[in-house]
Amino acid sequence: MIYYILRRLISLVVVLVGMSLIVFILIFVLPGDPITAIMGQRQDPETAARIKAEYGMDRSLIVQYTKFLSRAVRGDLGRSYRQRLPVIKIIQDRFKATLRLTLAAMFIAIVFGMTAGVIAAIKQYSWFDDLVMFASQIGFSTPVFYLGLILILIFGLKLRWFPIGGYGRGGLRNLVLPAITLGTIQTAYIAQITRSSLLEVIRQDFVRTARAKGLGEFTLIRKYILRNALIPIVTIIGSIFAGLLCGAVATEYIFAWPGLGRAIVEAIRVRDLPVVQGGVFFMALVYVLVNLVVDILYAYLDPRIRYR
Amino acid sequence: MRKILLMGSCWLLVFLLAWGVMAQEQFGGIFRWPSISDPPTLDPAHVVDTTSDRVVRFMFNGLVDMDVKTFKPIPSLAERWAISRDGKVYTFYLRKGVKFHSPVSREVTAEDFKYTFDRFLNPKTKTENTWILEDIKGAKEVIEGKVAALEGVKVVDRYTLQITLESPFAPFLSKIVLSNTFVVPWEEAEKWGDAFTEHPCGTGPFKFVEWVHDVHVKVERFDDYFKGKPYLEGIEFRIIPEEATRLAEFQAGNLEIVDIPFGMIKSMQTDPKWKDMVVIYPMLGIYYVGFNMEKEPFKENKKLRQAFNYAVDRKGICDVIREGAAIPAKGFSPPSLPGFDPTIEGYTYNPEKARQLLAEAGYPVGKGLPPITYWHNAPSKTHSAIAQYIQSNLRDIGVNVDINTMDWAAYLQFCQEGKPQMFRMGWVADYADPDDFLWVNFHSANIGPRGNYSRYNNSRVDALLSLAQEITDWDQRVKLYSEAERILIEDAPVIFVYWYVASGMLQPYVKNFEFCHFDGQPEFPHTPVEKVWLAKK
Repeated sequence: MIYYILRRLISLVVVLVGMSLIVFILIFVLPGDPITAIMGQRQDPETAARIKAEYGMDRSLIVQYTKFLSRAVRGDLGRSYRQRLPVIKIIQDRFKATLRLTLAAMFIAIVFGMTAGVIAAIKQYSWFDDLVMFASQIGFSTPVFYLGLILILIFGLKLRWFPIGGYGRGGLRNLVLPAITLGTIQTAYIAQITRSSLLEVIRQDFVRTARAKGLGEFTLIRKYILRNALIPIVTIIGSIFAGLLCGAVATEYIFAWPGLGRAIVEAIRVRDLPVVQGGVFFMALVYVLVNLVVDILYAYLDPRIRYR
Repeated sequence: MRKILLMGSCWLLVFLLAWGVMAQEQFGGIFRWPSISDPPTLDPAHVVDTTSDRVVRFMFNGLVDMDVKTFKPIPSLAERWAISRDGKVYTFYLRKGVKFHSPVSREVTAEDFKYTFDRFLNPKTKTENTWILEDIKGAKEVIEGKVAALEGVKVVDRYTLQITLESPFAPFLSKIVLSNTFVVPWEEAEKWGDAFTEHPCGTGPFKFVEWVHDVHVKVERFDDYFKGKPYLEGIEFRIIPEEATRLAEFQAGNLEIVDIPFGMIKSMQTDPKWKDMVVIYPMLGIYYVGFNMEKEPFKENKKLRQAFNYAVDRKGICDVIREGAAIPAKGFSPPSLPGFDPTIEGYTYNPEKARQLLAEAGYPVGKGLPPITYWHNAPSKTHSAIAQYIQSNLRDIGVNVDINTMDWAAYLQFCQEGKPQMFRMGWVADYADPDDFLWVNFHSANIGPRGNYSRYNNSRVDALLSLAQEITDWDQRVKLYSEAERILIEDAPVIFVYWYVASGMLQPYVKNFEFCHFDGQPEFPHTPVEKVWLAKK
């Protein structure tokens, strides 16, 4: 297992280098340079050229990329062209907000999604099962943007139960509406995958045998059915978690949540390459690490899985 | 009877006293102001956008400010000035006793302005808007890094600063109203370097408290402000990128001011709960569709360009898409710009005349016209709606145009390189002078990134605009601009679509908020915020 983990960590380096090169090339070839975007409609071309030279933007792609890599290995992801702040600091500040929102949304999604999925599977073809299926479809098909605005209108403006937007104002209350908005679609996914995964296990012979031998339903579900159904559920949870950690742009915009997704989209808009580069670097790191944790969990959940 | 009269007089006295108290300015309260995005900077030298400009204006001051009604330069940290006969030498006499905020807390002197201007043009500062001070003698040498100090800025004594220009430039005072020229203390600027943006220190009515990126910027009252202690205890600039969320926050009472989302002006104006809070006024800006004068089919085809101008239903765009919050443009310079000529007629909506001109241009009912693409930046509901409206207007006269879009960064470069045939653009005043509208957008020296995206080149217009920069007699300058504008309209290098109208909503308990018609929503940066007070705690 240790060797497996080490191999994955080494491959992380390869992934990071590959991702950073792809992003670098994409931003390089994308029309619109950062200094033009920052300076706006009225520019002095000589000043623009001088600023580009100061930032090393007049150098070739290879020189710029090499410089970036040599700084990155020392933990320096450069400075934002637009705000002149260290990229590391920008990512750190935004990631705290994103992590908070992600954990809250995941909590909602896992608790409600798994509970609904388990009950729906056990009570297959019941009214509850139909309700879960119906609600899941609504959850999938409601755009995040629309749901967020509806929640703001009802719970923020009409009922005044929760703050409309903002971060760090009113503590946990600020988290409720954005977490529900973000967590709804994830709840639907997790409910569906839990239900279908459980149904696959429930139909197996050992479950019928265990029931026939008089094993209690609760114990059967908890110790045998759920445990055996967890692999696909953990996979989807891991994938959702990694995705949300990289930022949920629509939710962040609606609720004025200062997350990483919004910061990166804004950086792309103004061609702030260091922030885009640093952000993508970070996202790749998150994805690989989360997938590694999921793989380790597989081994824990299913002793038949062994990594060499 | 006597008792009744006495009682009545007492009550009247009580009422008058209470009314007097209620009408008096009150100190206190936090003004919560929305921002569309995180300000890119709080360092005056690097301000290139209105979001940063607004916050910087409340924390810093410059030599001159702008009168909110007339837009004329008025004293700020300079209490008066003198201009030499040849229009090249400006001598500013500074106010005494103006203090920087803490931790500097000392008096502002002429040396501080010298430092500020040298720093602004120093290539190490990487200032984007060097054009603001490029008229000063020696600016070029500083920008190129040949020298560190501006030859044309001299400290005469502790409170006297003399600025010499390379050549007379009449709009110079209007130009230095821009917040990029606001004074900074050398102690803090040198100490923090690039990080000065996170530790701004100025002389303004409010001083910096904290900046949580993408969340808020907080400033608090500076009691020793030279114009007097501001009423507001502080201002919180809340960063709320989504317009619907901003409106919801305002309606919930969490913001004191807000812009009105696209498509909601009429509903706010007619809703009894909100209509009295709506503010609308014409501002200094124009929405136009440019023709590339170096590309077919618009190159050297004035009649074609005029035909397009007659084909566009400006009133329809203003009434339907802008919900009345726009003024059909008759020319380029907007009505509230000093020097505006109200006698200029401009183009009307006349499809018949458009068809006639189209035929005279060599394309009867659009036959023979090469494919034309109308470009605009995206995403934008306004630009998209207007593009489709104009496309439909042109179709009525037999012209088919395709619509295409790009995101702003790519679009700007695309236009600067002269690639589109027809492109949407807008212009909002940097400074309140016709020079800012006409010279920037139509002088041939500015073809390309400097602002003349239509690549318009008319030697007569060039001569008029250049001369208007040099002469100081205002009435003469106005005549020159008026003539230049008439030639422009005749040449039609653009479709003059509409002049901007700003709109917003203000809570009824906000008092003494003067909207400057220079400004747009939701920043309103030129508001004399030190005069604003809240009739509630």
